[in-house]
Amino acid sequence: MTNAPEKIIIAEGVDKYYGKLHALKDVTTSVHRGEVVVIVGPSGSGKSTFLRTLNQLEKIQAGTLVVDGIDMYAKDTNINKLRENVGMVFQNFNLFPHKTALENVMLSPRIVAKRDKKEVEEHSRELMYKVGLAERMHNYPSQLSGGQMQRVAIARALAMRPDIMLFDEPTSALDPEMVGEVLDVMKSLAAEGMTMVVVTHEMGFAREVADRVLFMEDGALLVDEAPEKFFDNPPHPRLKQFLSKVL
Amino acid sequence: MQDQQRVWLWNSVFVAIVFVLGYSIYLASGKIDYTWRWDRVTPYIINTEPQEIIAPGDGTLELGSDGKSLHLVLDSGADPFIVKKYTEMVAAEGDLIFEGDTLATLNDWQIGPIIEGLIVTIEISLYSLVIALVLGLLVGLMRISANPALRNLAILYIEVIRGTPLLVQIFIMYFFFGTVLDLERFTAGVIALSVFTAAYVAEIVRSGIQSIPVGQMEAARSLGMSYPKAMIYIILPQAFKRTLPPLAGQFINLIKDSSLVSVISITDLTKAGREVVSGSFAPFEVWFTVALLYLVLTSALSWAIQRLEKRLSASD
Repeated sequence: MTNAPEKIIIAEGVDKYYGKLHALKDVTTSVHRGEVVVIVGPSGSGKSTFLRTLNQLEKIQAGTLVVDGIDMYAKDTNINKLRENVGMVFQNFNLFPHKTALENVMLSPRIVAKRDKKEVEEHSRELMYKVGLAERMHNYPSQLSGGQMQRVAIARALAMRPDIMLFDEPTSALDPEMVGEVLDVMKSLAAEGMTMVVVTHEMGFAREVADRVLFMEDGALLVDEAPEKFFDNPPHPRLKQFLSKVL
Repeated sequence: MQDQQRVWLWNSVFVAIVFVLGYSIYLASGKIDYTWRWDRVTPYIINTEPQEIIAPGDGTLELGSDGKSLHLVLDSGADPFIVKKYTEMVAAEGDLIFEGDTLATLNDWQIGPIIEGLIVTIEISLYSLVIALVLGLLVGLMRISANPALRNLAILYIEVIRGTPLLVQIFIMYFFFGTVLDLERFTAGVIALSVFTAAYVAEIVRSGIQSIPVGQMEAARSLGMSYPKAMIYIILPQAFKRTLPPLAGQFINLIKDSSLVSVISITDLTKAGREVVSGSFAPFEVWFTVALLYLVLTSALSWAIQRLEKRLSASD
């Protein structure tokens, strides 16, 4: 076991409340470097909330979160520094509408990481090429389709050279014919060994790409299994019920 | 084709109504005993009359070494009074001059008091606009701050300013703060107008920022941007674009509200108008002129902001 990759995300006993609502109930799990973890569950199950605690877009009330060796709630933790290393892709893309696609990608490396302009531009062009949008670099988000916007958003997150990528239902707001192009980009990213945590309803993607699939319901983590077992032999009655509805 | 005709018809109706309104004002003015004398107003706008150059004291008139400028050597022994620009000499070289004598005349266009007032109004409005924008932005950001001290300060400020009349604020600013802090009238006027307008700008800024989807801030923060960086690079540029129309309205109000500072004896366009009325005995003409000048200012501003809006809409 000495060669086992390090745990890049460790969540222990995570609790989160929205007022009286107990949104996350004692969630404990971890993600190894290079692993692709997919979280599924019915809506309102807390899967997106859990994902958003991993870069502190949501704060937790109890438990510990260690990301890339840094305890997120330690006194001397600089959350902005930590977020530079954790890219996030949102359901509604959240591209900056007043900037072109290329400017969206270049902005954070320039003003946050303060990298050299020429190097950033070169890297950003490479990323746009990688997500298949070399020709749309100078378009504004309003001139792009949903699938294209989401691919720009992925390039934007990658521009900070993160070690971890979080995906919050990246294909849920897309027209069906555009889902494939985004999933393809995600698959190639997984193949490159990126650590990914993905909240999605795309069971095909989970089965094909995930190393582990997590099932959440009512704020609790009920199942954590390899995809074969998860789908072919669901170990929890609630998961069985859920899969029977979505598959 | 049908639609085109309709547009023409209704445009003609519009022109006809405006014409009828204008004509009835003309008829109404015929009902009263008033002689319109527009020529009386023009010298107060631009004065083309030759001006007399008056001696400030007793002395002797000499020609300067260049043979053109006039030097009035004063008996009091003070520095000579030098006239460089004139059209025609009235006194001759070597004349003994007494205080109040005319030395020469000058045929030059001179701006009249109305234009001077207009310039003061523009100055006051410009200073107040800049200060109100900065102050309003600051208060607007405080208003949405998570810190209760900042937030409540902003709310208190906005409520107090919006809940009291501007005229009263100008009096308080001039008579109270002006006395305590030894402010000039102009400064007091500018501060009163800025503080008043900033309260409204703050609310516009707040609503503008809150109209930007939360996801924009989340995306910016997820990329490692600090809150101020996210505000400056992501939220404010978008909010600014959305708030331009209400801001334009507020700044047009500012120009119009600036007429109230005439109550603390700042000779702005309105005060100049009042003074000119008592000098020219042509109140109707003067007030129509003053109204027109305000309209020119406000239209220029609203045109400029529309241009800006168009330029910023490139990404839509």
